Amino acid sequence: MLKIRAIKLEVVTVDGEYGAEYFFDNGLNIIRGNNSTGKSSLFQAILYGLGFEELLGGKNEKTMQSVLKDEVEFPVGAFHKVIQSFVYLEIENRDTVTIKRSIASEARKSQLVDVYFGPLLTENKPLDSKPMYVHDKGGASDEIYGFHSYLASFLEWDLPEVMTTHGNFHKLYLQQIAPAFFVEQKAGWSDFFATTPYYEMRNTRARVVEFLLELDVFENQKLKQQLYTQKQVIGSRWDGLYFQFLQLAYKHGATLKGLEPHPTIITDFKNLFLTVPYEDQTLSLPEFNQILMEEFNKTEKLEPHKVGENVKKNEEELNKLVNRLNKTSLNYELLSSEMNFDLEKLKQYQLQLVAVNDDLKKNKGAFKVTILGAALPTKVANNICPTCQQPIKESLLPHDIEQRPMGIEENISFLEAQQKMLEVYIEGQIQIINEKQRKMENYLNSLSDIRQTIRDHKKELIQDERLPSTLEIQRRLKAKNRIESISRTVEEFSALIEDLKSLTQEFSQILKKEKALPKEFFSDTDKEKLESLKDRFIQLLNIFKYSSSPIKKIHLSPDNYLPEVEKITASNASTFQKIIFDSSASDFIRCIWAFTLSLLDVSLMFKANHPQLLVLDEPKQQDISMRDFKSFLQELSKYETSQILVFASFENLDGSFEEATNGLNFKLKRINPKLIKPTPVS
Amino acid sequence: MEISQLDIKKLAFHSRPIPIPVDYRPLYKIALITLILNFCCREEKSTLLKLHLFSWTLKSEENTQKLFDFINANFTSEFSVWGIEPALNRALQYAVADNICEVINGKYYKLTEKGAVFFQMIKKDKDLFVTEKAILQFIGKNKITDKRIGLMSKKWSKFYAENSSN
Repeated sequence: MLKIRAIKLEVVTVDGEYGAEYFFDNGLNIIRGNNSTGKSSLFQAILYGLGFEELLGGKNEKTMQSVLKDEVEFPVGAFHKVIQSFVYLEIENRDTVTIKRSIASEARKSQLVDVYFGPLLTENKPLDSKPMYVHDKGGASDEIYGFHSYLASFLEWDLPEVMTTHGNFHKLYLQQIAPAFFVEQKAGWSDFFATTPYYEMRNTRARVVEFLLELDVFENQKLKQQLYTQKQVIGSRWDGLYFQFLQLAYKHGATLKGLEPHPTIITDFKNLFLTVPYEDQTLSLPEFNQILMEEFNKTEKLEPHKVGENVKKNEEELNKLVNRLNKTSLNYELLSSEMNFDLEKLKQYQLQLVAVNDDLKKNKGAFKVTILGAALPTKVANNICPTCQQPIKESLLPHDIEQRPMGIEENISFLEAQQKMLEVYIEGQIQIINEKQRKMENYLNSLSDIRQTIRDHKKELIQDERLPSTLEIQRRLKAKNRIESISRTVEEFSALIEDLKSLTQEFSQILKKEKALPKEFFSDTDKEKLESLKDRFIQLLNIFKYSSSPIKKIHLSPDNYLPEVEKITASNASTFQKIIFDSSASDFIRCIWAFTLSLLDVSLMFKANHPQLLVLDEPKQQDISMRDFKSFLQELSKYETSQILVFASFENLDGSFEEATNGLNFKLKRINPKLIKPTPVS
Repeated sequence: MEISQLDIKKLAFHSRPIPIPVDYRPLYKIALITLILNFCCREEKSTLLKLHLFSWTLKSEENTQKLFDFINANFTSEFSVWGIEPALNRALQYAVADNICEVINGKYYKLTEKGAVFFQMIKKDKDLFVTEKAILQFIGKNKITDKRIGLMSKKWSKFYAENSSN
């Protein structure tokens, strides 16, 4: 709930103090003022006090009328320069607070807002206050200093997160919701929520309706969002686990089989193992260890041979070793030249990426400049020759060259595609290089191993033939160490598998929940709410005497909840089109009246999020008759707990005012002759 | 497979738009011209040759480095030719026709009031032409004068003469 209790404008001019003060009640308040008395200034000041001036098409003080920032005219013909001006706005929900914001001030930035924790205008008592910021970066999200995040919590609004055009999520902005209950005089009556500022979000009008009516669709979307984040978390935990598995594999020159680098549901963990090449076959690590163990056990019991007994065997082995050395070093050589080639390729890709990035930056600059140039305006920016007015290509190449250059936007998306492609190439190339590097390290290790063994063999060949073979003893020791180390790895591996099991279980839970999300997003209450919205809308259209299309043909779009009209096309199929295309100008105003009221009514009916406030600037638009305007005011006058502020001029005639309001229950506030008057010296 | 077997009834070719370097975008070039005239030219006017020098300087980091080295060596080091590109001439034609520059005495290009407005628009945008602005501001209005251009290009014709005699 949001109620405007009071507003005070304080304007200090070179010739003394001016200002205005208005108090508002629940129910219908009619603020009557003839044209150019300052009616809209008052309306705009309310928006400004709430930090919603973006609805007027700008930010900060420049959206305000000159009477509040440049000069006051009072009485007619006498001008007084403004030195300083403030808006005070007292608002109520559960508590009452007063907002103070400067329009013209040497000392204060207009982004600065003071919030007094109490009714400063209706009861003039000293109050505690806190400075906050609007529109600065983080203004909508900073818990401590952002005025709008304060205002949202003041209104007890848990603002929903909405997908931005960049694919991430951001809370809905208050300024995006405001056009549902603040309708501005000029642009406000041109479409539903016409003054919504653009924040790179999708379908905001639909989100606003969902929020105001507290539809469950939102809950569903939130759930979807939660699952999405949970999935992200699983993904990063999976990454960590995957890395640990790889570490184990690298330790023994093994290869990891059966594990994807990205989360998957694993049902059979038997297919997940480490393999090592052994002679001509590939063995799993435990199998390999088994073989090592058997070999070790065979030899362990025996007394080591004497050097002399081993001479022949040693010589044979030495030959084999030399062969292996040659083979391995050849492999190493081959791989290392391949590696150079791969590295060079990577370098080329990286250079290309730099060039593309640079190009992209320049192209984006060129795009911006073209927009600036079109605004200047220049003919060239619109691809028209400034001399002969003929269309030209968007290029400086000679015109006799047969060429069809891409438009600059197309060129940008072309480059972006290139950029993406190069990034993928680079990633792949890095992977290939890492793989090869690992292989090379393995080769190097086995090379030095082989060399060491060759040296040992040679040493033994020249030793005293009666001594026990040190080579054999060494080999046994080494084998023992190796077996132990592999056993440890096997243990660690099974521990990791346990982690993986629980992770893959969590992952499948999430996938299940995701599947369980209703395809049909609307809950039963949602349908009820939307049905009521439609019924009320149509009921009001009848009351306001809407006549452009048969009312039976009108429904609310299931996508954005806005009214649409059914059309029969030439081929006899039925389609729906926006109601604006099918309504006369005055009937479209009736539509906006009806839609604005039905949103409030349905929200009241279901105790949803609507602030129960409507602030309408000059709702009598187009040539709507006083009689229909009266039926609108009559509807408005029925509200008792909600607050309705209507700013209207009644054609500057007492008669019209009488005709439109006769017999209605409302509070009248006059602006006469001017909004900003000298403040009586107290 | 023989072509006759393919049973082709009709072949159609569509020309697809091709990407072109940003240097060939009219407004991009015109924007650079306004930047050069403002940052690097006294009275915002310049000869054609000088415009070509700065346009060439902005074309690549290598070129920029060459000019900077030349400036830092107090104009004593060797500085060979710089490129003359037809695209700049065409951009100038557009700029003159669109009243962003005017030709004075048939020799100088000078920024018009409208050109100055365009320059301010570009200057105000902090994300636009960041490196270009920095380079041109470093060069400034006083480092490369018309006289210097004259000296440089004189060397240049000598350089050519020597080369061709070889």
